[in-house]
Amino acid sequence: MIQEFKKVWKPYAIGLLWLLGLLWPLLGIHPDGTLSFGTTFTVWVYIAVGISICLLLYVMNKSGSLTVVSRPLAAFRGVVTQTTGKVPVWVWILAVLIFALAYPQLTNRYAQDVATNVLIYICLGLGLNVVVGLCGLLDLGYIAFYGVGAYTYALLNLHYGLSFWLCLPVAAFLAMIAGSLIGYPTLRMRGDYLAIVTLGFGEIVRILLNNWMSLTNGPNGILGIKPPAIYWPSFADGFSFEIFYLKKLHYLYYIALALAVFTIIAVRNLNFSRIGRAWESIREDETAAELMGVNTFLLKLLAYAMGALFAGLAGAFFCARMRFVSPESFTFLESAMVLSMVVLGGLGSIPGIILGAAALIVLPEVFREFETYRMLVFGASMVVMMLFRPAGLIPAKRMGARGEEKEG
Amino acid sequence: MRKKLVVVLVCGLMILPFVMGTAGAKTLKIGSMSPLTGPYASDGTDIKNGVLTAIQVFEENGGVPGYDKIELFPQDTACDPKQAVAAANKLINLEVVGVIGAYCSSSTIPGSETLDEEDIPMLTPASTNEMVTDRGLPYMFRLCGRDDDQAPAAAKFLKEQLKAKTVFIVDDKTTYSQGLADGVSKACKELGIEVVEHDHVNQGDKDFAAVLTKAKAANADILYMSLQGYSPGALMTLQAKRLGLESQIVSQDAMFQPKFMEVAKDAAEGVYITYGFTDTTTPEYKAFEKIYVPKYGPIAAYATYAYDAATVLLKAITQAGSTDPDKIKAEIMKMDFDGVAKRIKFKPNGDSGSSYIAFKIENGKFVPYWHPEKGLLQ
Amino acid sequence: MEYFIQQLINGITLGGLYALIALGYTMVYGVIQLINFAHGEFFAAGGYVGVILLSFFAGRGFLESHPILCLMAAFVLAMGYCAFLAMGVEKVAYKPLRRQSRLAALLSALGMSIFLSNGLMLTQGVYDKAYPSELFQGGIGFGMVTISYLQMMIVGMTILLLFGLNMLVFKTKIGMAMRATAQDKIMSSLVSISSNRIISLTFAIGAGLAAAAGIMVGLYYGSVRYDMGFLPGIKAFAAAVLGGIGNITGAMLGGLIIGMVEIFGAGYISGQYKDVFAFIILISVLYFKPTGIMGENIDDTRV
Repeated sequence: MIQEFKKVWKPYAIGLLWLLGLLWPLLGIHPDGTLSFGTTFTVWVYIAVGISICLLLYVMNKSGSLTVVSRPLAAFRGVVTQTTGKVPVWVWILAVLIFALAYPQLTNRYAQDVATNVLIYICLGLGLNVVVGLCGLLDLGYIAFYGVGAYTYALLNLHYGLSFWLCLPVAAFLAMIAGSLIGYPTLRMRGDYLAIVTLGFGEIVRILLNNWMSLTNGPNGILGIKPPAIYWPSFADGFSFEIFYLKKLHYLYYIALALAVFTIIAVRNLNFSRIGRAWESIREDETAAELMGVNTFLLKLLAYAMGALFAGLAGAFFCARMRFVSPESFTFLESAMVLSMVVLGGLGSIPGIILGAAALIVLPEVFREFETYRMLVFGASMVVMMLFRPAGLIPAKRMGARGEEKEG
Repeated sequence: MRKKLVVVLVCGLMILPFVMGTAGAKTLKIGSMSPLTGPYASDGTDIKNGVLTAIQVFEENGGVPGYDKIELFPQDTACDPKQAVAAANKLINLEVVGVIGAYCSSSTIPGSETLDEEDIPMLTPASTNEMVTDRGLPYMFRLCGRDDDQAPAAAKFLKEQLKAKTVFIVDDKTTYSQGLADGVSKACKELGIEVVEHDHVNQGDKDFAAVLTKAKAANADILYMSLQGYSPGALMTLQAKRLGLESQIVSQDAMFQPKFMEVAKDAAEGVYITYGFTDTTTPEYKAFEKIYVPKYGPIAAYATYAYDAATVLLKAITQAGSTDPDKIKAEIMKMDFDGVAKRIKFKPNGDSGSSYIAFKIENGKFVPYWHPEKGLLQ
Repeated sequence: MEYFIQQLINGITLGGLYALIALGYTMVYGVIQLINFAHGEFFAAGGYVGVILLSFFAGRGFLESHPILCLMAAFVLAMGYCAFLAMGVEKVAYKPLRRQSRLAALLSALGMSIFLSNGLMLTQGVYDKAYPSELFQGGIGFGMVTISYLQMMIVGMTILLLFGLNMLVFKTKIGMAMRATAQDKIMSSLVSISSNRIISLTFAIGAGLAAAAGIMVGLYYGSVRYDMGFLPGIKAFAAAVLGGIGNITGAMLGGLIIGMVEIFGAGYISGQYKDVFAFIILISVLYFKPTGIMGENIDDTRV
């Protein structure tokens, strides 16, 4: 163990000293002309202790002192894998489905709210996955399509009284058009330029939504949107149908669940279709794909459009649920969150993205207890996740093997 | 194998919020919704501190009969409607009996719709948009003034006291500031003041050189700033003075913060601000000051309103002897007393009226300057 | 006419600030092809350290007696601090991810950006921090046009720094090493240029320039806030792309263009859409010349 420690103590010590040097000017220099070391030291000691514990664990792990714990754990994991491996996949899917259907009955309002959020973000994450994961187009303005979907439903419902079910395909369609419009100028650009241009487009859409008062009522947002409604037979004065508003949270949960299931099935089918394979070839090497006869132009547009479609659906639902929509919900930070879910979960892997969405929605809620430290921990955990698991929590299984992997 | 792990992990994650609950027998739970992070964190924290002070004062005077302690659950809305709805849901889950909040009108409105489903009273100390109480929600109350009261008062001030003929209006396109700016524009036109231009900046902007150059070229008598928060207002004032703008600067209640002078320094001298009249010489205010300032620092715009809102709620619960929303509402409607910020008396729609006066910044302090009815106060 | 000149001056000032921040983005992208989202936070951190130091000097009374000296000291110290910060961030968050996919590094940069801006918020408070504004008030007036001393100082400092950078990159040996690494990392390591050290140096210089911009923004506008890094950050990156990523002259040009477009858009059309104009110009230019105005300058050899 001492050998392991010797290897790491130098960067560790330098790192801690560096941290102290960074913290002190922020905490120790005061505007009244005094210098202090007290606060700095306290904060620094807390952080140093935390890092030291991690380092200790790391060193112990490396040098084998922890095998007394890790080996039985690995064995246990092996046993679990073996037993669960015998159960076919469809049983698991059924179990998840039953759990998801029964969820509202088992839990309280807050948990349902969180779960509905997770489902919306699953739709968003899978949609972004089509653009980023399958086709390799780095889209940082994805949230604009979400906004288009939401505002479409809001405006149609407010001005023309169209019902949610009718507006759903309309919102999706308009989002698709927006996707194609935004995708078109970017087709000639390479990777990172795409990023900044799509980011620009996302901001443009948000600013337009915020400033175009006559259309979108600007920053006040649009109020008084009706939730989804169905015709329900009522026996009041003879047999007739009356409009029944699905306002209660568990109804909204089921609608969200239906949308999410639809998205999962759709994305899965896209993934394993010819279009999906063409997208993957564009992602891997665009020039080669072009040479092989893949129409990169159309397919890239299609990728944007399909991704936008799912965002439009999610947006329309989001609007119906909140019954209020405002431009503040469609900032770049939201786009970044959705991108994080996709990458965190594992690019291109559907179960990974589901897990990523769940993690990124539930964890800040759990961290709500920390209030002001919430976003700090979130940022730090994103960095840590990337350092230790850059391929994501559940990396996608690649179709076919690559040359390098065979030799490995 | 990984897929099974997904199932276990997802289930685990979904259950997490479920197991987070709170205990506490015989605790009176109230909630607060305000931005504790983000650009408006300073005002949101002021609101939270105001409520905490009210609880402290109440507990020192015996608390609410039937309960051992009063506990506040502060929630962060970050001025984001989505987070406001989530915060409202969490408070419903925590079974609070009333909510003080929120700050941004764009958060209060969706939050109140959520709380209304469970009939939880909501008192906002700071949301001034008309829609907050115009929707007819039964348990929605407002402590601060309304935008459609502040605008005519400001216009009257411009006309009668400052004898202005032309005005250049700037707002930053947020719900509150734009609503107010539009109101002022309309009121000015009615009184015969010419609105030379009504320009906009964006929320969070720092560079106002372009707009101020325009204002300088227009050379109106008045520059009316309607911005969300003291920070852009102070920056605009500073840059205006530096550019040599000669128009008189008049602004709105979001600027009523000691930090405005801190940032704008000398440039803030002579600026007029309309704000709900708060008599700082009343014994109630002095008592509040004595408790609040040592603990939380200088008093900003909405701490007083938040304190009054919490006091109203706690008083209503005490007088009603129960937490039933209808009984609370009945008690609130009966109230008529001197709060810290103003006289507390509610109208049927939940508003409590507003009395906007104009303050002038003299020697780094807000001095009451002009009253719509009484005229010059000096 | 005077209105035009006044807005022109405003535009040049803003453009210079954007150019300084854009340089950091462009140099880092040139060597490791990473969009360093945390760069905006270096800008904010520089502004904060500047205000801390200046307030400290004001508290001790140095500010009244030796204003220029204090300002110089603040600049140097803040630039040093941010260089220090940037090198650390690079070692912790970007270096281990150099072999991984670009998206992983991007996410790490995003996470770092959130972490740093919240770190600033927690250590410095959520409120704005005002710069001691006794310095450099007033200006010279030519009729309706006013050039404030601050504007002159900003333009002057910007020109000085850009000139210095140009000297460094094109006339010194270290500069040659930087250009070599940007062109082809593998070959330059074969001629014994340590790419790790050059990358750290690049980060340091970029962050130093951003810090200078941060202090100047604080002086010019009057205050700093923990979230002030975000929007200037993306606009500066847009400026870098506009001018041709990896290209230093391009970044300077791009910054100037974006600054002018923003000010003239706000001055002649409307203040509310000024961010939009900048992006529209970017998209239009990229559509017709996908590599930016002056062409890109990155390591695009593939093994």
